[in-house]
Amino acid sequence: MKKILPALLLSVTLCSQATAQYNTLKIPDTLSGTNFDLVLKDTFAQLRPGNQTITGSINNMSFWGPTLFVNKGDTVHINVTNKLNDTTTLHWHGMHLPAVMDGGPHQVIPPNTLWKPYWKVTNQAGTYWYHPHLHEMTLEHISKGLGGLIIVRDAKEASLALPRSYGVDDIPLVLTSRRYTTLNQFQTVATSYGDYMLSNGTPDAQVSLPKQYVRLRILNAEIERAYDLGFSDGRTFYIIANDGGLLNAPVAVTRVMLAVGERIEIMVNLGGDAIGSSFDLKAFNSGKALGFPGGEPGTTGEFGSLLNNKDFGVLHINVVASTASPITSVPSALESNTYWTGSSATTTKSISVTNGTPGGLPFDLDNTPFKITTINKTVGLNAIEKWTITNNNVFGHTFHIHDVQFKIVARNGSASAVGAFESGWKDVLFLPRNENVSFVTKFEDYADPIHPFMYHCHFANHEDGGMMGQFVVVNTGGIQNSIKEELDYTLYPNPAENKLFIRMENPRNEVYYITIYNVQGRTVLMLPQPQIQDGIDIATLAKGEYFVQLMDKKTKSIRTQKFFKQ
Amino acid sequence: MKKLHYIVACCFILGTLLSFRGAKEKIVSMLGKTVPDFGLPNVDGQMCSLSSNAKGYIVVFTCNHCPFAKLYPKRLNDLNSKYAPLGVPLVAINSMDTIVYEDERFDLMQAKAKEWEFTFPYLQDAAQTVGKSFAANHTPHAFVIWRANNAWVVEYAGAIDDNGDEPEKANSFLAKAVDELLTGKKPSMPETSSFGCRIFYRK
Repeated sequence: MKKILPALLLSVTLCSQATAQYNTLKIPDTLSGTNFDLVLKDTFAQLRPGNQTITGSINNMSFWGPTLFVNKGDTVHINVTNKLNDTTTLHWHGMHLPAVMDGGPHQVIPPNTLWKPYWKVTNQAGTYWYHPHLHEMTLEHISKGLGGLIIVRDAKEASLALPRSYGVDDIPLVLTSRRYTTLNQFQTVATSYGDYMLSNGTPDAQVSLPKQYVRLRILNAEIERAYDLGFSDGRTFYIIANDGGLLNAPVAVTRVMLAVGERIEIMVNLGGDAIGSSFDLKAFNSGKALGFPGGEPGTTGEFGSLLNNKDFGVLHINVVASTASPITSVPSALESNTYWTGSSATTTKSISVTNGTPGGLPFDLDNTPFKITTINKTVGLNAIEKWTITNNNVFGHTFHIHDVQFKIVARNGSASAVGAFESGWKDVLFLPRNENVSFVTKFEDYADPIHPFMYHCHFANHEDGGMMGQFVVVNTGGIQNSIKEELDYTLYPNPAENKLFIRMENPRNEVYYITIYNVQGRTVLMLPQPQIQDGIDIATLAKGEYFVQLMDKKTKSIRTQKFFKQ
Repeated sequence: MKKLHYIVACCFILGTLLSFRGAKEKIVSMLGKTVPDFGLPNVDGQMCSLSSNAKGYIVVFTCNHCPFAKLYPKRLNDLNSKYAPLGVPLVAINSMDTIVYEDERFDLMQAKAKEWEFTFPYLQDAAQTVGKSFAANHTPHAFVIWRANNAWVVEYAGAIDDNGDEPEKANSFLAKAVDELLTGKKPSMPETSSFGCRIFYRK
């Protein structure tokens, strides 16, 4: 009897494998150019048999939004319309841009409001992303599938023989998982981990890939889980990019760990695979040390999950015929990044993970829970700084900083302890327990003494709980002008029909922010640092009286004036 | 001065003049509690309130723009056709914020009621007081209230059923609760979670 039982079990297992049902991996739609329209709204998706799941939609995609293709050097203008049943924000994760455009917790977009940020793309070619960042609501909004990838192109990347046919040999892969209620809704309360994978929003995803080198752009878009990624047959693959762009040379590995918010671009060779054969990209998450997010043994509750402490597939790959002009090798050299070292830094800063003990306060940084009116750090414009993040705490975390890409220079004080897999430009790092990590970065281009950038743990439940701080970049070299300038401007024509023009009457004034709201107090337009010379497009506004609230850049004083839209 | 500037900037940039902001959901169980009668305008222009002649009411909080609520008009008509003759009519209430959501304007409610040939009242709760008194939190959010001791007691609260887009596969929690109440029993599943679009209340 003892012998029969395992055999029976085995046959059951084989059966279930043979009949495993996969769904074709959704490839997000693309948008490209310099003007992008993103419309966020509530919708639903058929993710499981039975009831539909309420999700967030961007441009009619029901879970996870379009991929934005942008070119380094272009100025991109984004029209974000919030049609959700909630206020939200949209943060451009990894992008270097002015704080007022950054989409952090400060740039709150009320429902039915159009927010129009713009910036010059200076990031290197790589895989970035956008997602909501409203304080205390990030987990809920990200859980709904609100977000998308940003792929930056540049001349250097274009000159290399790399796979770049989107959806063919260059595959975006956004990994996350969800727990469902009995009515198939996303569980967002007291839940750190999902129970079921969603790869690009596809449950049990499979993809057909050509028999050649392919590129995967992988984002960990989880709430808390990390992935120790590798292939089911243990094959070698090549890391070609980190969060902030290409490495100087590919790094050959068989496994790579990807924590929440991190991106990695890999190349893997399918040239030796038989057409019709299959293998899997898997998370080898079993048997991890304490502090690995998703290594906890339980299957239920806040810290348990059906996917915890086990190996599981994240993408089933079917090999098909190669394309007409396949990539057949990995370039030996990629970028020529010059990285800062610890000695480049002129200022050092230290941050510690604090609290988070069971029954006590939630996790925070330096015993200071996030407060939107408190600036925690000040950085000089063009300063090169070394930040050391220390985690002598109960669990692993991630650390993400806005505005910049950084270079990890040491783990526990040792440069050689920094993994080759994380040797490029980064904006998120994994912070295991009992470890400190040092990075060096330069705060260039965008000083703003008023509007802060964020640094935080990227676990949505932790940032919502207050594990966040904020810093301003200040131009200490400039002359501080304390003279009170009078803010004076004229709106014309008034009434206006399609365009509203603003004439600044005091040449020392400069527009920092314009908000337009109607007589009921509903905000209809949010324009950070608008380029006003061509007027403000008001063609789509309903007829009626509106208020323009204009803030001066230098003095931050505000003056409100009325106009009539006809 | 810096601090003052900062606060000014914050007030400005966060500065929706409405205090409308996402907040963690608070689930309040209304089961067994009484709800007050109300007087709200119907799409036909008449003011509506609850009648003491009814055994009970099916009260459904819904709205115009929510994609999930849009799946249910036919089912609401069917529920009303079935249960109104048995003394349990259906009443739909729109508690969405009309300042924020222009789609929820009264004339657009009238157009929706006409388009879907609603056989039941579709009331506007512009002040959001009725929605608050039911602790309605999503559209659609269904309640069955029953007449007891000259008061209206919540006997069922939650979803209409368990499948929005495939009504033929749906298990109607709401209908089952009404059926049980009509036979003098307490609903066997008196509470489920409602889902759909959040109803946000002006503070």
